[in-house]
Amino acid sequence: MSNTIKTDNNKMYNELNQPVKGVSLWLDAWRRLRKNKMAMGGLVVMIVYAAIALSAGLLPIYSFNQQVLDHQYLPPSSRSAGELLIEQKVELLSAFAAKEERELNKVELGQIEKLKERVATEKKVLLTGEEILVHQRVYHLGTDELGRDLLARIIYGGQVSIMIGLVGALASMFIGVVLGALSGYIGGRFDSIMMRFVDIMYSLPYMLLVIIMMAIFGKNILNLFFALAVVSWLTVCRVVRGQIMSLKNSEFVEAARASGASTRRIVFKHLIPNTMSVIVVYTTLRVPAFIMLEAFLSFLGLGVQAPYASWGVLIHDGVYAMTTYPWMLWYPATVMTLFLFSMNFLGDGLRDALDPQSKNKL
Amino acid sequence: MSEVILKVNDLKTYFNTDDGIVKAVDGVSFELEKGEMLGIVGESGSGKSVTNLSLMKLIPSPPGKIMSGTAMLDGVDIFKMNDNEIRKLRGNRIGMIFQDPMTSLNPFLRISTQMIETIMLHQDKDKSAARARAVEMLEMVGIPNPSKRINDYPHQFSGGMRQRVMIAMALSCDPEILIADEPTSALDVTIQAQIIEVMQELCRKLNTAVIMITHDLGVVAGICDKVCVMYAGRIVEKGSNDEIFKDPKHPYTQGLIKSVPRLDRPSKGRLYSIEGQPPNVIDLPECCPFHPRCEKAMDKCRNTYPPLKVFGKGREVSCWLYEGEK
Amino acid sequence: MSKYIIRRALGLIPTMLIIITVCFFLIRVAPGGPFSSEKKIPPQIMKNIEKKYHMDEPLIQQYGRYVVNVLRGDFGPSYKYKDYDVNYYIAQGLPKSLLLGTISILLAVLLGTAAGMFSALRQNTWVDYTWMSFAVVGISVPVFVLGPVLMYIFSIRLGWLPVAGWIDEHGLKALVLPVLALFYQYFATIARLSRASFLETIRSDYVRTAKAKGLKTSYIMMKHVLKGASLPVVSYLGPAFSGIITGSIVVEQIFRVPGLGRHFVQSAFNRDYTMIMGTVIVYSLILVIMNFLVDVLYGYLDPRISYS
Repeated sequence: MSNTIKTDNNKMYNELNQPVKGVSLWLDAWRRLRKNKMAMGGLVVMIVYAAIALSAGLLPIYSFNQQVLDHQYLPPSSRSAGELLIEQKVELLSAFAAKEERELNKVELGQIEKLKERVATEKKVLLTGEEILVHQRVYHLGTDELGRDLLARIIYGGQVSIMIGLVGALASMFIGVVLGALSGYIGGRFDSIMMRFVDIMYSLPYMLLVIIMMAIFGKNILNLFFALAVVSWLTVCRVVRGQIMSLKNSEFVEAARASGASTRRIVFKHLIPNTMSVIVVYTTLRVPAFIMLEAFLSFLGLGVQAPYASWGVLIHDGVYAMTTYPWMLWYPATVMTLFLFSMNFLGDGLRDALDPQSKNKL
Repeated sequence: MSEVILKVNDLKTYFNTDDGIVKAVDGVSFELEKGEMLGIVGESGSGKSVTNLSLMKLIPSPPGKIMSGTAMLDGVDIFKMNDNEIRKLRGNRIGMIFQDPMTSLNPFLRISTQMIETIMLHQDKDKSAARARAVEMLEMVGIPNPSKRINDYPHQFSGGMRQRVMIAMALSCDPEILIADEPTSALDVTIQAQIIEVMQELCRKLNTAVIMITHDLGVVAGICDKVCVMYAGRIVEKGSNDEIFKDPKHPYTQGLIKSVPRLDRPSKGRLYSIEGQPPNVIDLPECCPFHPRCEKAMDKCRNTYPPLKVFGKGREVSCWLYEGEK
Repeated sequence: MSKYIIRRALGLIPTMLIIITVCFFLIRVAPGGPFSSEKKIPPQIMKNIEKKYHMDEPLIQQYGRYVVNVLRGDFGPSYKYKDYDVNYYIAQGLPKSLLLGTISILLAVLLGTAAGMFSALRQNTWVDYTWMSFAVVGISVPVFVLGPVLMYIFSIRLGWLPVAGWIDEHGLKALVLPVLALFYQYFATIARLSRASFLETIRSDYVRTAKAKGLKTSYIMMKHVLKGASLPVVSYLGPAFSGIITGSIVVEQIFRVPGLGRHFVQSAFNRDYTMIMGTVIVYSLILVIMNFLVDVLYGYLDPRISYS
């Protein structure tokens, strides 16, 4: 604005003493984002998840692959595994006795006493080399079929899932931005070949290709990244190309060109920063998409392999156990869904904040 | 004396936004006589479009709301009409043309569909009669080969041609009033004159009164009988065409006239322009909103809104400069 | 227009050829074959097997033979289940998968568009909030979570619906949960998409013109708004078809529907080359044809698309 007056506390006012807003894109976006309660909630949840995933090694939780075969399918509880084992035994024997309409007999009471003793004294050497009273362990979210702590598996699985989401989104973003920016900026023949290629790739049923690739090249995380990255840069490439094309002919780029700036400088100093908002929004929305893709593959048994876990693997295991041991499905499913929710809200909020006129509200 | 068909009194239309209440129109009054052409002039954001959308009750609500005022059309207040009554008014007694002919016609429907639906809605005509009427209207606005072109889609017409279609559509039911909201601003300069001419000619023929909204004084000068100048949601000066152009009283009007390029006079260096920008109409302090840009601003202007000074029939100015005059 | 359709239809052939080629060579460059996982096979027998399946020929010759066979509609014998050929499995699985997918996409489009429209018309009211909360849930809950959760609640706990299986065992009840699990995400996306699109169209200049002409709101919705507002939904149909196909693979797995998806996953694990190829080609063909139909529909809806 012309005719603005600065006053002592650095706020801008116009002549009618009305405050004048700052115009920085990011500041403005942040202000809008802060007003969006759902997006801020999503941001908070995401920070919590990230903090837990990053500090997983420091948290007082068990190892994700420590098996204790005595502790199969223990339900979630804040009591120790030993207490639960005794309780299960007592319940089982009482049920028998009740069927025969009698009290517990001596043999059975002896069995219980024996178990109690075992629970109090039995030691086990863990994978870490540490020796502990194994039945003192507490499984807040229960255990799985190999007696592994579900809480630890969810947290470490989250680490894997979030990492795949982030790395995948960033990698596909990088490929997409570079190719899209080049295609849009150079234009002409290069552009038409690129776009034809993208079109063909689009018409392929890419998830099927990913499944085939995982099945025949081997199921490791590296192949997973590769397979996902190959198919997922297309949309970004198209969007960035479109943005660059429209910016290319804008006046500020003409001005830069007129003052003799090199192509590289124009692309990196003018065009990419100006497409940043779109890129940020898409990256944010890509993260949950990648996590879903990975979980999808893991669910089919083609993703992350044992002993490592991801949310998809845990849900896969949970489905098979859910009839009798429903917690194995509920906890990982809830944790993952909450995360996806938050990321989607945050992405939506970012889009509304950065690009209020956005037409492609997908 | 010809009769007054529309009398707007103290119209206030506010918008409730996140940043506060936008007083887009804040106490506007004017009269429109049968068959005359009234120009409403002002910068963008001065409230001229909102004034006329209010007359059709087309303000998006929420956030917009007509807070007070009356608009008497033949003795009936438009603002008190229910939805049904207002629909019978729209397109039938009041026609409307919008600024951007590229987006104002539905791109997915043929011109024929869009014209015939209006005619059949308001007039007792069957489809073929309505079609004949539509072709006749298109011919009147100068569309070549109308009986064939009526089957085209809007994108097959140029901008100027589309605006002609809009005019034909707006006038197809013989409305008493035509509201033209910046009908030429989106067009090439060469086309502008043609469109204005077509509109003027047709309205004279059909005896339709016109409210012409524009930011371009040049458009108004040629054709309007009366002119209202709006600034920050209020009418600051009103008068006949001659009065406004020969004897502008409000410093804003004077500035506007000085800033129109004139080819019929020797140029005296740089073209005049009014310094600064129109104010934000949210939380406007009590003052003359023009004072920061006014060369003749006085202390009084900074504290109180100037009262209306009436200089004779239809000649009004809101400015402290004329406080002492009778 | 008809010229455009024909040209576009002819364009499907190279696309399909590319898909066949990519899959064929992708699978063949992979280490190990369908028979390598089994126990040691004497070299003579291995040779015989390879001869039987023409695997001793040069790769390019195998490719040529395969393409010709596929064009004749013959996908060859299954490498794993030696008594059946791929055509048999496809004929068995495809109708079930098609039924599941068709119902899901139809429901998603119809309900999604309706929900979007009503939300837009009643923006910021409880109608809007209710539909949009449904939609937000749908976008964030992946099908492999939704499916098991639905199954747990309605089949295992409440016992209202069958846990798994197909129509031949349980009648139409068998369809409810798979369809629900499969359609929800696309319903949600379409609802959000069409809400935004309806809102934008309702605020457009040409709808304002229609109002200024005195037309009734219901008439404006049907005649002026619906067409323009449905365009984004139509262009989303392509990705939706592709998503429904992938989703159906999971859903068939969860609810043990003996459809094409189950065969596909099975064959991917078994490295059953001909089965993988066969299923992928069928899926691709469906997808490519659907995309073609969407293009034609789009051209029909939007007169501004030029066919030159």
